Amino acid sequence: MLFQTQFYVLVFLPAVAMLYYAVAGSAVARQWLLICASLIFYAWWDVRFVILPVAQITATWLLALAHERIGGRAWLVAGVVLNLASLATFKYLDFIIASAANLAGLSLPHAGIILPIGISFFSFQLISYLIDRMRGDAPIYPYRPFALFVLLYPHLIAGPIVRHNELVPQFAQDPRRDGIWRRVGAGLVIFTVGFAKKVLIADHLATIVDPLFTDAGSRALGFGEAWSAVLAFTFQLFLDFSAYTEMAIGSALVFGLLLPENFRRPYLATDLREFWRRWHISLSNFIRDYLYIPLGGSRHGAARYVLATMIAMGLCGLWHGAGWTYVAWGLWHGAGLVVCRGWQQLKRPMPAPIGWLVTMLFVMAGWALFRASSFGTAASIVQSLAGFHGMTGVLQDMKYLVVAALVSAFVPSAHEIHDGLTRPRPALAVGGAALAVYCLLAAGQGAPVNFIYFQF
Amino acid sequence: MTAPNPHPEGSAWRHFVGVFLCVFFIGAAIVYIAILLVDPYGVVAFSLPLDRRIISIDQRHMYPQIVRSKRYDSFVIGSSTGRLLDPALLDKEFGGRFANLSMNDMQAVEQKTMIELVLRTAGRPRMLIVGIDGVWCSVNADKVQGMHGFPHWMYDDNPWNDYLYLLNTAAAEATIRLLAFQFGLYKERIRGDGYQVFTPPEERYDLAKARKLIWSSREPQAVPDLAPRPLSDQERRSLSFPALAWLDNLLGQLPPSSVKVLAYMPIHVAAQPWPGTRDAAIEAECKARIAEIGRNRGAKVIDWRIASRITREDSNYWDNLHYRVPIATRVAEELAEAVLLGEPSEDYRIVVP
Repeated sequence: MLFQTQFYVLVFLPAVAMLYYAVAGSAVARQWLLICASLIFYAWWDVRFVILPVAQITATWLLALAHERIGGRAWLVAGVVLNLASLATFKYLDFIIASAANLAGLSLPHAGIILPIGISFFSFQLISYLIDRMRGDAPIYPYRPFALFVLLYPHLIAGPIVRHNELVPQFAQDPRRDGIWRRVGAGLVIFTVGFAKKVLIADHLATIVDPLFTDAGSRALGFGEAWSAVLAFTFQLFLDFSAYTEMAIGSALVFGLLLPENFRRPYLATDLREFWRRWHISLSNFIRDYLYIPLGGSRHGAARYVLATMIAMGLCGLWHGAGWTYVAWGLWHGAGLVVCRGWQQLKRPMPAPIGWLVTMLFVMAGWALFRASSFGTAASIVQSLAGFHGMTGVLQDMKYLVVAALVSAFVPSAHEIHDGLTRPRPALAVGGAALAVYCLLAAGQGAPVNFIYFQF
Repeated sequence: MTAPNPHPEGSAWRHFVGVFLCVFFIGAAIVYIAILLVDPYGVVAFSLPLDRRIISIDQRHMYPQIVRSKRYDSFVIGSSTGRLLDPALLDKEFGGRFANLSMNDMQAVEQKTMIELVLRTAGRPRMLIVGIDGVWCSVNADKVQGMHGFPHWMYDDNPWNDYLYLLNTAAAEATIRLLAFQFGLYKERIRGDGYQVFTPPEERYDLAKARKLIWSSREPQAVPDLAPRPLSDQERRSLSFPALAWLDNLLGQLPPSSVKVLAYMPIHVAAQPWPGTRDAAIEAECKARIAEIGRNRGAKVIDWRIASRITREDSNYWDNLHYRVPIATRVAEELAEAVLLGEPSEDYRIVVP
C-alpha cells in the first residue's frame, strides 16, 4: 500500500487510527492492532512477502532469547549472519552471480528472485539490535513489542531506520497521554506536507527525469537536456524520499509515536560532511555507529580514517542497490568526505556560497552516477553537463525546477515542523486541510507512482 | 488586560484537529458529490439531467459516452491519423450516423477495447471503419497497456467500479467546465460525434516548417521504386503481430450485415518503411496477414499507406503523420468510391474489394 493513495488516506489510516484509539487503554491490544495493520499494509504488494520479515523477526528474537538464557556470543553472530544471508540471497544474489560471471568470463544462470520490498530497512534494524546486544546495549524484549518495532508500517518499507531503544519504550506509553491533540495535529500537518511534495512535485519531476535518463543510454544528451535531467533528479530524489519520511512520521504521530528525523534540508549544506549530517540521517547514523566507528573512525591515524571512510561509504552505496554504479557512488562520496575533512583541517574555510556551490556540484555529479543505468551512461551525462557534447538546449520545465528548488530549500523538515508548531492556528488547519483535499484529487489522477527508495 | 483564553492549550489543539478533519472530509465529500451529480463523463446513474457535451480534449475519458449515447450506428476507430475523417461527410457518403472515435496515439489495445465497447453497447453497427496504422503491426502490441492513463474501468460493463475513479483533478476540472457550459461560460471542445480539427488552422500552414517536421534531420528525397526484400520462410514464421489476432476476433464478432472496412491511413512516405529495407519487408508481411483477415471476415481492405500522389507531396502534410483537412476530405470521398463503387485510384490500392 502506498501512503499517497486515496485508499490509504481515506480508509486505511482513519480506520486503523479509530480502532487504535478504541483499544488505546490496553497496550497489548493496541500493539497487536498495529502489528495486524502493518502486515496488511505490507501484504498489499504481495501476500507472500509477509513470510520473510516475520521469519527474520522471529528467528532474530529466538536467537537473542537463546543468548539471554544460555549465553554465548555465537547466537548473536548467527543472527547477524542469518539476516545478512537473507539480504544477500534476496537482494544481491543475481549481482554476485553476474559479478562472478564477469570476473571468470563465464555465463551463469540468474536466480531471478523477486526483491521483497523494504528488505534493506528491516534487515538493518534487526542487525543493529543484535549488534547492540553484543555491546550490552539492548535488553531482551517480549516478542510483541520487538516484532512491532520492526513491522510498524509507517517505517517498514523505507525508513527512517529506527533503533529499538528509540521506539520500543514508546509502545508502552498510552497514546491518550498529555499532548495527544498536539501530536495528532502535527502529524496531520507533516503528513500533508509530504503528500503535497510527492503528488504535486516529485511525481511531475519524474516525467522529466525518466525519459532523459533512458535516452542517455542510447545517445549523448545536449547541454540543456543533461542539466534538466540531473537537476530534476536531484530535486525528485530529495522530494520523493523526504515526502515518504514525512508521511511516515505524520502517520506515526497520529498513533502517538515519534519516529526519528531523516532529512534536514540537505541542499542547504555548505560542505559535504554537513550534507551527510542532513541527508538520510537515520542511515548515516547507522553507517557511522555500526561500520565507520568499528572500522576505526578518525581516531587511529589518517590511513585508517581513509580506509574506514571508503569502506563505510562503499557499503553505503551497495546498500542502495545491487550494482557497481551504486558502489562507485558510495566511493565517490567517501573520497569527497576525505577531501572535505582534509580541507577543513587546513583551517581555510571557503566562503559559504562557494562551499555550497562546490557541494551541490559534487552531489549532483554523484546523483548522475546514482541514477544512470551504467558507467558509460553516467560518464556521457557528466560530459554533457560539462558541455563536451555541445552547448545547445535550455532547461526543461523551468517553472517546476524553480518550485522544487524553493520547496527543497525553504519547507521545514518533519521534526522542524513538529518542534516549531507551538500554536494551533485555525488558519493553518483550514489551509492544510484544503491542500490535503487538493492532493487527494491529484492522487486520484492515474496510477500512483512508487517511491524511489522502495527499490532499496 | 486580555480576556482569558477560551481554549487552554489542549483544547485549542483539539479544536485544530477537529477543524482540519472537518475541512478535509467535508471538502472531499463536497467535491466528490459535485462530480457525481454533474457527471462530466456520463457514467453515473443518478446524475443531474444536464446538457452533456464533450467539454474536455481528454478523449480517453470523454468518448465512451459517445458510444453509450446510442445516437450513432457507424464508427471510425483509429489513431490521430484517422481523426480528421469528418463523420458528417461520411454520413453523406455512406448514409447512417457516424461517430469518429479515433484518438491521438491510440494503441492497438485501446482500439480493441473501444471496438469491444461498441460491440457490447451500440448493438449491431451499420458500418465500422478501422484506421490501420503501425500500432496494429507492432510486435509489442500486447505489452502496451494503454497510453495517457487509459481508463479501462470506463470501458467495462461494471458501472459500479467507475465510482472508485472519479475523485480526481481531471474529473473536478471537467465538472467545473460542464457547469460553466450550462451557463454559457464555456464552449464544447469536441463535437458530439467525436470530430475535432486538432491540426492548426489552415491559414497558419507553413510549408518550410512542415518540411522540417516531415523529414526531421534527413534531406527530402524521392522514394525509390524497390520491391521489399523478401523474407525467408523462417523469418516469416518467426514474425508475430499480436494485435492481428484481436482484429481477427473482433471482426468475427460483427454481424454479416455490418460493413467492415480496414483502411490504412495515408501517412507521408517519410514515415513509411523505406522501400527495400527489412522494415518494409516486415510491413509487407503484416499487410499480407491483414489482407487474409479481411478476406476471411468479409472486410474490405483499402490501402492509402503507399507511395502516392498524396503521400509523396510535402504540402499535403503538417508533419510526417498528419495530413491537412482538404486531404481528409479527399480521403473520405475516396473511401466511399473505393468501398461503394470499387473504383481504382492512384491514391490507394483496393487490397480486398
